Amino acid sequence: MGMEFLLLIHGAEEAWERATDEQRRQTYAEYEEFGAALARAGVKVTGGAELAASGSAAIVRGRGPGAVVTDGPFTEAREQFGGFYAIDVDSRAEAVEWAKRLPAEIVEVRGTVQP
Amino acid sequence: MRFVILLYGDEVAEAALPKEQLQEIVRQHGALGTKLAADGKMINGEGLLPSETATTLRDGVVSDGPYAESREQLGGLYIVDCVDLDEALDIARQVPPSPGLVVEVRPAMS
Repeated sequence: MGMEFLLLIHGAEEAWERATDEQRRQTYAEYEEFGAALARAGVKVTGGAELAASGSAAIVRGRGPGAVVTDGPFTEAREQFGGFYAIDVDSRAEAVEWAKRLPAEIVEVRGTVQP
Repeated sequence: MRFVILLYGDEVAEAALPKEQLQEIVRQHGALGTKLAADGKMINGEGLLPSETATTLRDGVVSDGPYAESREQLGGLYIVDCVDLDEALDIARQVPPSPGLVVEVRPAMS
């Protein structure tokens, strides 16, 4: 058991929306290759998700019945959080090396709190 | 459907809390995770280390620190299995309060 790191992927959604089907297939193929490379290296993937576009987000502020729900993402930045991988590796340096191989504009590597 | 529940918070205010209060927040998250798991709704949960520990790659260039230098930072997330958005929002309303907490609910691709 090593350390768990999240590879948090941020990117420009407008570029993705403009992408042709062929470009999207290419990107998905690169992600599949990334996943295959993790498997070949014996890196345990402990979680992950691809998020729907930020336009589908809802924001909840407050707790319980009084909580206020609004549409839209929390940040209106050009780059939006689009998904993540959780990987179990031996070091931060190793997590960063994997992050370099992602076909993404921006990747934030962050450790997690272990229970 | 899978939904990702993203927890944004005020890290500076969180760091200033007394230790017991922080432990209580962590305990409440644990309780929520246990309840969601018992209900068959929990897929995954992650608590993130503070953003100052982050390493960011932008177009392949590595730098220290988080991607966004804002006071509100992603601090954790839940991935839940729900029948619809309303059920996910209902879970989002149960997230234990913490300083500056804003919860974003987003569908995940299948």
